[in-house]
Formats: sequence, structure tokens, C-alpha cells
Amino acid sequence: MNKSKAGLALGAVAAVGAIASWQAPAGEAAKHDYWPGREKVIPHVSGDRRFSGTYDNWKDEASIRAAKAKGLMSHEMNFKDFRWLEKSFDAWPVLEEGKEYFNQPNAAGKSCASCHGPDGEKLKGVYANLPRFNARLGKVVVGPTQIRACAKDYLGIDGWKENTRPNSVLDMYVAHLSDGRKVDVDVISPGPLKEAYERGKNLYFKRTGQFHFACASCHTPPTVGNYLRGQRPSTFFGDAAHYPIYHFPYTLPGDDLAHVFTLQHQIRSCQMLSRMSQGTEGSRSMVDIEVFLKASANGYPMSIPTQEYNMSTDYLKR
Amino acid sequence: MNLTALRQPGARCLAALVAASVLGLFSPGVFAGSGQEKLQKIRAKWKPGEAMVPEFLTLYPCHEEDQPCGKLPPPAVEKVAFKGPLAGDAARGEKIALDVRWGNCAACHALPGAPGGSVGPSLADYPQRRPPVQYTYQRIWDGRVFNPDAHMPIYGTQGVLTEEEIRDVMAFLYQGKK
Ligand code: HEC
Ligand code: HEC
Repeated sequence: MNKSKAGLALGAVAAVGAIASWQAPAGEAAKHDYWPGREKVIPHVSGDRRFSGTYDNWKDEASIRAAKAKGLMSHEMNFKDFRWLEKSFDAWPVLEEGKEYFNQPNAAGKSCASCHGPDGEKLKGVYANLPRFNARLGKVVVGPTQIRACAKDYLGIDGWKENTRPNSVLDMYVAHLSDGRKVDVDVISPGPLKEAYERGKNLYFKRTGQFHFACASCHTPPTVGNYLRGQRPSTFFGDAAHYPIYHFPYTLPGDDLAHVFTLQHQIRSCQMLSRMSQGTEGSRSMVDIEVFLKASANGYPMSIPTQEYNMSTDYLKR
Repeated sequence: MNLTALRQPGARCLAALVAASVLGLFSPGVFAGSGQEKLQKIRAKWKPGEAMVPEFLTLYPCHEEDQPCGKLPPPAVEKVAFKGPLAGDAARGEKIALDVRWGNCAACHALPGAPGGSVGPSLADYPQRRPPVQYTYQRIWDGRVFNPDAHMPIYGTQGVLTEEEIRDVMAFLYQGKK
């Protein structure tokens, strides 16, 4: 066996000392600091054709129904069978709570509704274009940061930071006002969003952490389609269209997220799982990763509220 | 050389390299233990089987580009030589391999006598196949020697496991389960 020969030869070479380490020539090394595949990525959900190749099973409702009829499993539809065709019943109370915060007047009688219409009428469709460049703040912002800034600057509420319960339920509420709209984050036109996308793509493929994983290590084939213990990761195409997502009553230790996982929480969750240092929600690098993920869902309809796991066990009967 | 430049991790590396070659220290082993040094720090506060202490994760490259860890270079590839005999504690090795908060080999591999993930090749038949111990040791320590894009964590180089723990896992792999 080839590998074993290499192993034996190595023993001889390294016999001098217990450990020898070397830095490969710069260009050569840099190539491997990233998980392979960056160059194949495009900012559209159909980009998955060059990765998992399952896109044709989940590209629209008819395809998902056909795939289900053929008996394909959730991972062969990138989990869109229940993320897209079924809404989460458990998440409705969370949306109600978000709506309450939205309409809740401050001491001066103002609320989010004062600017955005009762129940957020004027925010319909907006979330499908987030993250975007905010000229007032001079940077690209994600939903939770926009909410934090509005609360502080227009309502004088200091406590609705990105990692708080009111922020997360509001984020889900606002996102749900875009249910059914196609994700459209313009990362083609030159400007801050395109720059964020490019940085985010690099970060997503960059190896980090104690395990030396990239996000892409798990979220591209052959890991996609295989088992990590009991779980199967999804491809990064289209996932962001379901975020924020309802999570069962379990959150990161110490956080009160009201069972809502914003995309920022999800990135942190995966970082923890992969023994990477967790980023701060709303920081530039964390926003960059979100821009990359959201733009990878371009062209796919938002579906909110959905939930993390499939409650239906029908597939077991097949 | 000015001090601010020295504070850049890349520069420090370079400075170390220059110093090492000037002193004639440039031989295998110069960087030995960098991962294992991190490990010593970590193990003073973190017990295998418990959740990783977040402060230690900034010892490794991270995503936050404006933080020091965001500027850390990736770890250099480490070649190691296995010094026999294969005398680890197989029972402890099994525990290490199965524990999610320790070695967690089962996340990706089926193991002798235990089911597992399918991301890596099955190791269930390892006791029968018995690849060379040197090969196995290197694979676990730093698999990039065989495949620069290997998915598997680089357990030795990054100080995920101690040398002793890796030997225990190997004893488990070769012994199999009765
Ligand atoms: C060790 C494997 C692994 C790595 C590395 C990893 N993930 Fe994940 N990821 C998973 C698994 C498994 C899931 C499924 C559910 C969960 O969170 O437990 C998941 C879920 C996700 C989801 C939600 C997908 C969906 O539709 O529910 C997103 C988004 C995500 N990961 C992004 C990332 C980002 C960003 C990184 C890098 C910081 C990353 N992942 C690194 C394994 C991984
Ligand atoms: C994140 C996934 C992952 C984890 C965790 C993991 N491995 Fe692996 N392993 C792989 C992959 C993938 C390969 C195939 C080689 C490659 O990546 O180039 C492999 C290859 C191997 C091989 C060589 C197998 C052969 O037949 O040549 C051995 C031995 C091995 N792993 C042992 C371990 C041990 C022991 C652990 C835990 C201490 C472990 N692995 C943890 C993914 C993993």
C-alpha cells in the first residue's frame, strides 16, 4: 500500500529527532491554509451544482416534492424538505413576542412602528436584502446590528444588543416579514458589500482553531453527505434563507436567545463546536461571514419561521 | 529591527528563524513542542471531558481579523518519529477516541467495536489491517504530511492530545475490542 510505504520512509527521514517541522514555500503553504474550492464559489444558490450536486432536488417546490416522492432523504434535499415546505408551529409564539417588542412604545410613546408602520408594514421584503451597507453607520450591517442601532439611536433603548433576547426575537419577526421573498444581496457591484463578500468567502474557507478546520471543511462534500457522528452538515448554499431559525429550548451556555438562532448565533455555535475562538456578534469578520452565507442563498426564497430539526418521522416508514 | 515589527506574529517567527540559524540551532526539533506547550497551558485549567475553556482558543488562528488570533499564521507541518514499543493504555485510548470532548475520533470514523461517523475511512478493521505504527502515529500527529488538505484535526501539532494520549489511542486501534 502506497500510504504505508510513505509512512515507513518517513520514519527513516525523521529518525534524527522526535519532531521536525517546516514551513512550506510561501505560495505553496498559502494554498493549503484554505480548504479547497474557493475558486468555484458563485454568489447564487445554484452554485451548489459545483459542490454537492443535489441542487436539482431542491431548487424549487416541484423538485422537492418529486425528490420526496422518490424517497430521497433530507440531506439529499439539503434539508429543504422541512425547511421550506413546512413552517415551524412552535415558533409562532416567538413571532408574537417579536411583534410585541416591535409595537411597544418607549417613555416618549415611540416604537419601531413609529417609523416602520404598524406591525412593520414598511419592512416587508427588507430582510431578503440584508446584510447591506448602512451609510449612516458607515459599514455593512446584519439584521441584529440594525435593530440594536435603531433601538439605541431612535428609541433610546440601550439594552437590545445583538446577543439579547429582545434583539433575537425582533430579528426573527422582521425576517418573517420577508417570508417568500427571494434573497438578493448584491455582491457583484463594486463596493463595501462586494468587499465584505470576498473577505467572508476567504474566512469561510480559512483553516482556524484547535482542530485546524475551515467552515468549508464540514459544509462541502465529501463531508456533506456523510455522517459526523449522528449529524449531517448541509452545503452553505441556500441555508441562510431560513435564518433566524427556531431552535429547540437549548442555547449556548450563558446566552438567553429565546430559542431563536440568528445567523450570527449559528456561526458562533459552529465555531464552538469546531474549537475555534468565537467571534463577537456584529463584528466586521462575523458580518463578512454572514454576507458570504446570505449571498450564497441569492435567488432562493426566504422561509421563516422554520425549525432546526425535522419533527416529522415519516421518512422512517419508507 | 524595531519592536513593533517584532510584535507581529509573522515577524516573530522570522526573527526566531534568523536567531536559530545564526546560533546554528536550525535542526529538526527547533519548533518542537509549540503545540505541546499550548497544551500544557490548556491542561492546567481544562480537564478532558469538559467543555473547552474559550480563552485557550485564542492561542490558535481565528476568524476575527482585527484580533491578534486573526493574524496568527497557520501551524507549520510537523513530522514525527514513533519511538516504540507500542505500549499505551488501550482502555484509556478507547475512552479518548469516543469522548466528544477529548479525541472524538468517532465523530468521523467507525472504530474497532464502536460505530462512528463516515467522514473518514472506517478504522473498524484496524487490528486486522495493522498498518505500520509509524504511519499511524504521523497520521494522528499531523496528517498533512500525507495530504496537505487532510480534513482530520492535527492532534499532535496543535496540542489537542498529549503524546501519551496518542499512544493510548494507538494501543486501542491495534488491539481492537475483544
Ligand atoms: C466539525 C464540523 C463543522 C464545522 C467545522 C462547521 N460546521 Fe456548521 N454545521 C455543522 C453541523 C453538524 C451542522 C448541523 C446542525 C448543528 O448546528 O448542530 C451545522 C450547521 C451550520 C449552519 C446551519 C445550516 C442550516 O441550514 O441549519 C450554518 C449556517 C453553519 N453551520 C455555518 C458554519 C460556519 C460559518 C462555520 C465556520 C465558523 C461552520 N459552520 C463550521 C458542522 C460544522
Ligand atoms: C474531522 C474528521 C476526523 C476526525 C475527528 C478524525 N479523523 Fe482520522 N481521518 C479523517 C479523514 C478524512 C481521513 C482520510 C485521510 C485524509 O484526510 O487525507 C482520516 C484518516 C485516518 C487514519 C488513516 C486511516 C487509513 O486507513 O489509512 C487514521 C489511523 C486515523 N484517521 C485515526 C484517527 C484517530 C485516532 C482520530 C482521533 C484521535 C481521528 N482519526 C479523528 C477524518 C477524521
